[in-house]
Amino acid sequence: MTTATQSRRVRLPAWASKKVLVGFLVVFALLYSVPLVFPLGDYLHNIVGLTFMFMAAGLAWNWLGGYVGQISFGHAAMFGTGGFVSARLAVTFGLPFWATWLIGGVVAGLYALLWGHPTLRLRGPYFSIATIGVGEATRLVATYWTDFTGGSSGLSLPIGNGPTKFQLYWYGLYLLAAVVVLSYWLRKSRIGLALLAIKEDVEAASDVGVNPSFYQDLVLFLSGTVVGVCGGFYASYQAFIDPLDMFSFERSISFVLIGVIGGIGTILGPAMGAIVFIVIQEFLLANYPQLYLGLYGVLLIVVILFEPLGISGLIMWVGRRFGRRPSPSTAAGGLSSAASAPDRPTAPVGAGGQDEKQGPS
Amino acid sequence: MGQVLALAVSAVLLAGFYASMAYGLGLIYGVLRVVNLAHGGMIMAAAYLSWVLFTRFSIDPYLAIPIVMVVFFFIGVAMYKGLVRFLPRGAAGGVQSLLLLFGVWLVIRNIAYLLFTGDDQAVRTSYSTASVRIFGNSYSLNRLLVFVISLVAVAVLQLWLSRTYTGKAVRAVTENSDSSTLVGIDVERVYALTFGVGTALAGLAGVLASTLFAFNPSFGSGELLKSFVIIVLGGLGSVVGIAVGALVLAFAEIFAIYVVPSYLTAAVGFVLLVVVLVVRPGGLFGSKVLR
Repeated sequence: MTTATQSRRVRLPAWASKKVLVGFLVVFALLYSVPLVFPLGDYLHNIVGLTFMFMAAGLAWNWLGGYVGQISFGHAAMFGTGGFVSARLAVTFGLPFWATWLIGGVVAGLYALLWGHPTLRLRGPYFSIATIGVGEATRLVATYWTDFTGGSSGLSLPIGNGPTKFQLYWYGLYLLAAVVVLSYWLRKSRIGLALLAIKEDVEAASDVGVNPSFYQDLVLFLSGTVVGVCGGFYASYQAFIDPLDMFSFERSISFVLIGVIGGIGTILGPAMGAIVFIVIQEFLLANYPQLYLGLYGVLLIVVILFEPLGISGLIMWVGRRFGRRPSPSTAAGGLSSAASAPDRPTAPVGAGGQDEKQGPS
Repeated sequence: MGQVLALAVSAVLLAGFYASMAYGLGLIYGVLRVVNLAHGGMIMAAAYLSWVLFTRFSIDPYLAIPIVMVVFFFIGVAMYKGLVRFLPRGAAGGVQSLLLLFGVWLVIRNIAYLLFTGDDQAVRTSYSTASVRIFGNSYSLNRLLVFVISLVAVAVLQLWLSRTYTGKAVRAVTENSDSSTLVGIDVERVYALTFGVGTALAGLAGVLASTLFAFNPSFGSGELLKSFVIIVLGGLGSVVGIAVGALVLAFAEIFAIYVVPSYLTAAVGFVLLVVVLVVRPGGLFGSKVLR
């Protein structure tokens, strides 16, 4: 019953509405200036910077996983590619850090296209399992390609080449800001509609003139590029990277988790997911490292069974309780799009709040 | 020439194991339209169960097969009743079932880490190194046994599906679950049963794997991928398709040592998959599987 109003909501504003723009600028200015006015302390400052990177990576994963509905369990392949290409460029050629990030990102994006163009013909589970294969194969090659990646001993970045951890906070913020803008654009522009159509039904989409192959490739390339840049950022952040960490299965899982916890398919949900992810990683798992896989698994199960839209879903539920829709310029800017997320009308989840959400609106 | 023949026989033996491994995944997908991402985790867990039975209770792995299969049957039924049942069916449920079962896999892995640490384990029986001569070449007795057991398992399953009343009900639900309800089949029961049988097959594959390979809690992702490659290659629902898929994969992997360095043979399955998708987007036998 809400379909008509929802589709109008997507179409009416050009992809950047005034409200969203103001909210975006305010938040950006706040995040930019807070550490200058109130120093956060080294640890917190650095962690927030790293969180920006994970937010950007989670949002980029969500373009493919949420907007198009192709869940990738292999994004570590691009993260590692971006990281190692930038590290190698910095070590061997001494290029400035921003150039290494960009080149690393583009190489990662092209690598994503290389395996993605054939495998994106697969839908749903088949694509996902293929990405597990991509991740594993890439990890194997990277681990044994010692000339390029340094093998299991890894690569150390030259000291003084890149920004310090302290400065990386702001570079992380720029990266995140760019990715947020891209997220809005990808969802709210014509491309967003095409992606929704593809997610709903590939064949119907191509019948109405949407070229699924082109749009999926485009999204995968952008997603891979951003995750590659994140890899370059991470390399600068750690100043040392090794393939076992960069290409690990756990790394791929982290992007999936950030997207799912935050709210898959929403615009800004994964950014909140990244906060939860970092909090869990830094404060809980630092003390219980042997439980991290299981904890992530339980989180996935709980989210999928009880609140498939994750934190975004919870916020929507709370908003409904108070009888209003939170405005899109709040931190949960993804809400309006979450409501029109394409699988809602056809997904009668047996468990919990789903029906409740559809009801009172 | 002799070497080629020897490799070909090993490939056939390996293909038997692959077929039993892929069948469980294919069965569950065919009936429930749910890809059991926990399949690899179940194989790993069964390998550990077989290892525990062998080291603690000195039960021979081959004699442990019925025990493990029964245990895993009930684990599968419990997984269906406790988790999978709540997922939406059809295309809408695809992403959710994927993520849910992926979560289950992570939990299984973590439990295995906690119980058994990350060290490699292997089941070494008194006859692990015994060999048999065929056509002038020696082959491990273990591999032959695994091959025979896999063949028997797949044949029994096929008979069950084609000859028994319950098996026919399973096939009816595969064709059309709505019509099955109309003719009085308890679809929910068939789903639970199928999930149980599929998981029991993962259990069988796990026991067989424990006699062939060293394993640790990360074991299983390669097996999941290979099962999936076989299904894409061969299509669902027919023993012939699974057998062809398993043979193609096994031959590709075994003969890849002529072309690529040994550490890359693990990536062969994936490369094969991409090649097949580029050449024949619908799999080797048409598009039935890709939906």
